[in-house]
Amino acid sequence: MTVLVFWLFFVAFVSAFAAQVARRVQLIATAPYTFSFDDLGFRVNRFLVDVVFQARTIRERPFAGIAHAFVFWGFVAFGGYTLTEFLLGLGIVDLTHTAWFAAYRVVLTPFAVAVLGGILFLLIRRAFVRPVGLGTKVSIESIVIALFIATLMITYLLTFRLEEGTMAERVNWWIHMLVILAFLALIPASKHFHLVLSPITVFLKSPELGNLPNLDFEKEQVGLETVKDLGSKSVLDAFTCVECGRCQVNCPAWGAGKELNPKTIILQTQEALLAGVHDRKLGEVYSEKVLWQCTTCGACENQCPVGIEHLPVLIGSRRGLVSNGDAPDYLGAMYNNLERRSNIWGLGYDQRTKFVQSAALETFDPAKHDVLVWLGCAGSFDADFQKSLRSLFAILRAKDVRFGVLSKERCNGDPAKRTGNEYMFQELANGNIEDLKAAGAKKILTSCPHCVKTIGNDYRKFGYEVEVVHTSVYVEALTRSAESSAKASAGREPRETVTFHDPCYLGRYAGKVDEPRNLLTRFGADIVEPERNRDNPYCCGAGGGLLFADKEEEPGSRISDVRFKQLQATGANTVVTACPFCSIMLKGAQASAQADTQFVDLMTYVNGKLQPRV
Amino acid sequence: MILVIAEQRDGKLNRATWETIVGAQQLAKVSGAPITVLVPGAHAAGVGAELAAAQVAEVLTVEHAALEPYTPDGFTAVLQAVMGQLSPTQVLLPHTYQTRDFAPKLAARLDRALVTDVTAIKTVGSDTAFVRPMFQGKLTADVVPQGPGPHFITFQIGAYRVDQVTKGTGAATVRALDVAVDAATIRQKPDAPFQQARQAVDLSQAERIVSVGRGIKEQTNIALAQQLAEALGAEIAASRPICDAGWLPMERQVGSSGQTVAPKLYLALGISGAIQHLVGMKGANTVVAINKDPDAPIFEIADYGIVGDLFEIVPAMIAALKQ
Repeated sequence: MTVLVFWLFFVAFVSAFAAQVARRVQLIATAPYTFSFDDLGFRVNRFLVDVVFQARTIRERPFAGIAHAFVFWGFVAFGGYTLTEFLLGLGIVDLTHTAWFAAYRVVLTPFAVAVLGGILFLLIRRAFVRPVGLGTKVSIESIVIALFIATLMITYLLTFRLEEGTMAERVNWWIHMLVILAFLALIPASKHFHLVLSPITVFLKSPELGNLPNLDFEKEQVGLETVKDLGSKSVLDAFTCVECGRCQVNCPAWGAGKELNPKTIILQTQEALLAGVHDRKLGEVYSEKVLWQCTTCGACENQCPVGIEHLPVLIGSRRGLVSNGDAPDYLGAMYNNLERRSNIWGLGYDQRTKFVQSAALETFDPAKHDVLVWLGCAGSFDADFQKSLRSLFAILRAKDVRFGVLSKERCNGDPAKRTGNEYMFQELANGNIEDLKAAGAKKILTSCPHCVKTIGNDYRKFGYEVEVVHTSVYVEALTRSAESSAKASAGREPRETVTFHDPCYLGRYAGKVDEPRNLLTRFGADIVEPERNRDNPYCCGAGGGLLFADKEEEPGSRISDVRFKQLQATGANTVVTACPFCSIMLKGAQASAQADTQFVDLMTYVNGKLQPRV
Repeated sequence: MILVIAEQRDGKLNRATWETIVGAQQLAKVSGAPITVLVPGAHAAGVGAELAAAQVAEVLTVEHAALEPYTPDGFTAVLQAVMGQLSPTQVLLPHTYQTRDFAPKLAARLDRALVTDVTAIKTVGSDTAFVRPMFQGKLTADVVPQGPGPHFITFQIGAYRVDQVTKGTGAATVRALDVAVDAATIRQKPDAPFQQARQAVDLSQAERIVSVGRGIKEQTNIALAQQLAEALGAEIAASRPICDAGWLPMERQVGSSGQTVAPKLYLALGISGAIQHLVGMKGANTVVAINKDPDAPIFEIADYGIVGDLFEIVPAMIAALKQ
């Protein structure tokens, strides 16, 4: 009789679970296929680090992260116990009187205590501390789930106290089992579905941050226009979201008071999918305005503990808008510049030639030169950034590095790619690849982190492989010898306090955080770190085409103003930058703030210390 | 005969017409042909009298119901009739939006050559060639129009300077021309013309601009720049920090997130020359920069650079201008 009743409960709850899961699986299965499994080694490693060891969960929020890890490890540990009790309840087999089960229960006890402690901590945090990332309203459902988990652990621990066969023991057992079943039925429609999906999502997440496969124009691909265009990985992401809000609190646009909230984007995807509005335009689902507020800094995607990729959705939707001619006016002007003059400024190429001549640069020849220096739009035209390049050339010449430049360059295409103008990106990329191949470049050196990402990663999707090194990395290795350190310290100059602003495309995308710091400390600087640094910097506001955006159109503050204040708060009077666009944005913010803060590019700083003082 | 087709609206002459007359006078030097100016549209008489000051053989006006309001069909029909009466060898037009609208249609209707956006006239052997940009200005081509006349030539705005026009000793005769055109052949029915809401201050049309940067230091010092602007008859503009601080309204900001300007004179006071500012003023003819930092990027593009204290230099300039 008991077995029959248990079966009834079991079938009812498991069907409820299965029906909800089936609906979501179907949505994933019918979406355009975008799963990939390349670089398995990397994926396995990340699975171990981020799922098994919970690194990404713990990293940003150590206390909540460890509490979560306790609950997670406890869940895994309890798997066998739950199975055994279900086999008993369903009348299949009774393994509860075996020796190994007794031992297993003992082993589980510390886990149960850890889970209980962890979940109570998380419950208090959610109900009373209420961090902003978790949303403004307390989620009743999360409270219920937390109480469920606590109940499971308490009922488990009570089994050691209650005599088998007594009424109390039976009630305790039924509570435990029914809570598990109710929990199961609640999971799919809640953020707790991440329990099931996140290990899969983390495994399927692209090894490359901000991975945007090329559009195939032969197949008439135009980007994401409506809900049904969202790829299977994006649909999976939408159901995996655990609503922790790491993406939100790390988003520079959200931080500056703009409307963009990456978490909202994912939840809006989920809502649209479940509502079945497959033909709804993504510009309406998310709002066009919001889509143009993303700097593509990658913080959301990089901080996400459950493997969600925000950028393919944000930039994919931009592609859909651009394909329909719905880009903001300021981008129209920039696209015009790219189309006519192949650079973002719309300046004539004679100006690049003038700089190349005045800096006495040779045209790259693989027989004569070790590296090709890629100037980029800033290096070619921005007189201010050209000072940094002249410093770089001085360092390279002092170290006898033989280098040359291309006789002409187009913009690498980053602003076109990141704003969704894929056609223009491919035009620029194909032209550059042709030139780079013809020049025989094997190693490219550039001071622009956007060029590093685009030429190094995005060009690979055209089958073009080349080593691209940021100057901070190259010069760090170049000046590593004892001789230069000795020379630097022999100067006995007083050490200088500086702060370093990590460019998103260097620190976060390329993961190069130690090289610039090594350079600075080697050459007499004491670094005070700003809020948001290393591989999770706060964006300067230039990325994703926003260098050209009007302030007038936007709510909130400028992202650059917010970042400048963070840098100012370090107390250091010198800010070192390593990206021309960060430099432009932050200098603009500094000028507007009427502040005295000095900016120096990393190469200029290093060269200044290498030059003998007169 | 060289025929210049003037452009006017409601009796107000488009000044690019004067530039086209300069082009016609250059062409006449080579061919010796007389120049006739045709003013089409309502209120043509007044404009005709104005243009009669130029050294030309004759000014003709043509007013016809088919010309008002402007339609490409109406203009083509009237001008086709005019070509029949006058049989010019060349027809010169300013390369305005209106010309771009009807000139190709007119040339195609008559099956005659059309050379657009011409920047100069050149003699190549025994031929007269018209110089025009190609491939977004990357190349220039010398075009010798082929086939029977009239050849249609449109001149880029700014190809000639208005002040180079040769004035006649007396006013040329102004004569009204009659044409017979069936207005019923006009297929277009234009709506009332409208102008997109422009910013209150349109710096893009300013001939002279005094632009202020952070080197001005205090809001009260803006007055000094304003005095200089008044003395020069210039508009005042600024770089981003000045507008951010509210010292000048946002609509006076020049740069990639402000207005794009192309004045004849751009005087940059205490502007360092961040690239975002430079791209907004790269079209300026002559850039004069005053900055105390000799390494300021603005000097890279300035035609005249003064390294020094603007608070000494500007008052001296104002005093000199007032003399």
